[in-house]
Amino acid sequence: MTLLGSRKNGPSAAQDGSVARRRPRGGEMSALAMRSTQLLLTVAVLGAWELSARAGIVDEFFFPLPSDIFQTVWVWVSSGFVFPHLWVTMQEAILAFLVGAAVGLLLGFVLARVRFLERLLDPFLQMFNALPRVVLAPIFLLWFGLGIWSKVAFGFTLVFFIVFFNTLEGVKSVDRVLVDNARMLGASEKQLLRHVFIPSALTWIFSSLHISVGFAITGAVVGEYLGASAGVGYAIAQAQGVFDTKGVFAGMFILMIVVLIIDLLVNRLERHLLRWRPVRSS
Amino acid sequence: MMPAAQADTSTYAVELTGCTKQFPTPGGETYVAVRDINLKVEPGRFVSIVGPTGSGKSTILNMAAGLLDPSSGGVKSFGQPVSGVNRRASYMFQQDPLLPWKTVIDNVSLGLTMAGVSKAEAHAESRRWLEKVGLKNFADRYPHQLSGGMRKRTAIAQAWIVNPDILLMDEPFSALDVQTRQIMENELLQLWQESGKAVVFITHDLDEAIALSDEVVILGAGPGSTVVGSYTIDIPRPRDLLDIRDDPKFVTLHREIWGRLKIEVSKTYETALAEEGEVA
Repeated sequence: MTLLGSRKNGPSAAQDGSVARRRPRGGEMSALAMRSTQLLLTVAVLGAWELSARAGIVDEFFFPLPSDIFQTVWVWVSSGFVFPHLWVTMQEAILAFLVGAAVGLLLGFVLARVRFLERLLDPFLQMFNALPRVVLAPIFLLWFGLGIWSKVAFGFTLVFFIVFFNTLEGVKSVDRVLVDNARMLGASEKQLLRHVFIPSALTWIFSSLHISVGFAITGAVVGEYLGASAGVGYAIAQAQGVFDTKGVFAGMFILMIVVLIIDLLVNRLERHLLRWRPVRSS
Repeated sequence: MMPAAQADTSTYAVELTGCTKQFPTPGGETYVAVRDINLKVEPGRFVSIVGPTGSGKSTILNMAAGLLDPSSGGVKSFGQPVSGVNRRASYMFQQDPLLPWKTVIDNVSLGLTMAGVSKAEAHAESRRWLEKVGLKNFADRYPHQLSGGMRKRTAIAQAWIVNPDILLMDEPFSALDVQTRQIMENELLQLWQESGKAVVFITHDLDEAIALSDEVVILGAGPGSTVVGSYTIDIPRPRDLLDIRDDPKFVTLHREIWGRLKIEVSKTYETALAEEGEVA
């Protein structure tokens, strides 16, 4: 291996081994110092943006002043304007997530346990999964109307496949010995599911949970953007319609914060349910 | 305690008659793992199966457990044909069988809770077993927090708590270091001596087989291996496993059985060499 090649492989090759454990120590910062640096970076980027927009270097029409964006956010929040929209979007996302995850889990478990069904349905599932989901939005609008159900259906198609494929893989990759051992100890098919397959698949399902929650919200917002009468996506589309870029950025910012909070909650739940897993040394 | 005296020879704990097991290979052919196996294990008797690598030892155990159906031949347990898993047997696997998402005590309780015993009762019984295997202070740990030896002890408690009549053990200690292994063998013998259970123990280690067993069965070289010899081990019990290798009886038996096993081991070795030659 050339010197360049080995240097390139450095970070991944050093995942285990004592060198890796020692190396980051040199550049390691305390949590507080890291947070301060991150804050500094934020201030620097936003400040540069603000100044260059004020100086006319970037066009304020396309890149509105950060101070104006935050003011719009504040107006949306303090006047209560954004909350009904947010509530509609959340309803759509939650319904899409619940239905998508439930059907994905159920079908994943059934197909993983019944080999015949898996072989029968596999090509069809692959076909639907290959379809770029956004093209479904217009047909769902026609089928389900401008209300929340067209967005729920759209989010469902995004969430379902992620949960389904992860469940299928999770159940199929269960250690053979764990299954045989439980069977020898007298487990019925139902008990196998409860004590072995579901907990084992849970790691896979959780690794997909972050993505599928995000997709549920994406589905709702994109659906609203394409045609709706309420929701954050609708509010963004309205702002765009009157060339109110501040409103577009404000909608983006609010969504970002909401998704961050949801992700934090999912993390909490994950850490609780997967507490039996060894803590990674990193 | 000599189990042979109380054994009712008409009902064996495990009885394999003319069992052959073949598997389809990916190439569309059939691979005969074991051929025409006859094995009788009396209740309360400790029988070891020793054979070279690839001689189908685990296949035999899986047939006795009901995890595999023989392609031909019959499997009986206490006179009853085995269909589905053998309800009178527990299995100790070579690999780690503990559920990583359950604590030690929940893992040990598993067989009882699945049989419908209440959680409180199952936990009380599990605590007794954890004390017996020296793990009473580790009840609330998860498996990944235990050492290899401790996980084996948990697995022993898990297999024994359901009070099976038969214990099927597939090289249960092969992953342990030599010292831990000897300690575990000693503990296994102590548990077994007061239990009257039949044990079918698989190992490739002849020393271990002779030290533990009443009978050592030798399998021939695979594929299509079959039983080529059976030896009664009449070293008196209780045995002290730490010194047993110096016992003159042990030495004589070891020499005799190794003389037979050696032939099969070298056959396996030659086949492996020949196959390597073909590939090259």
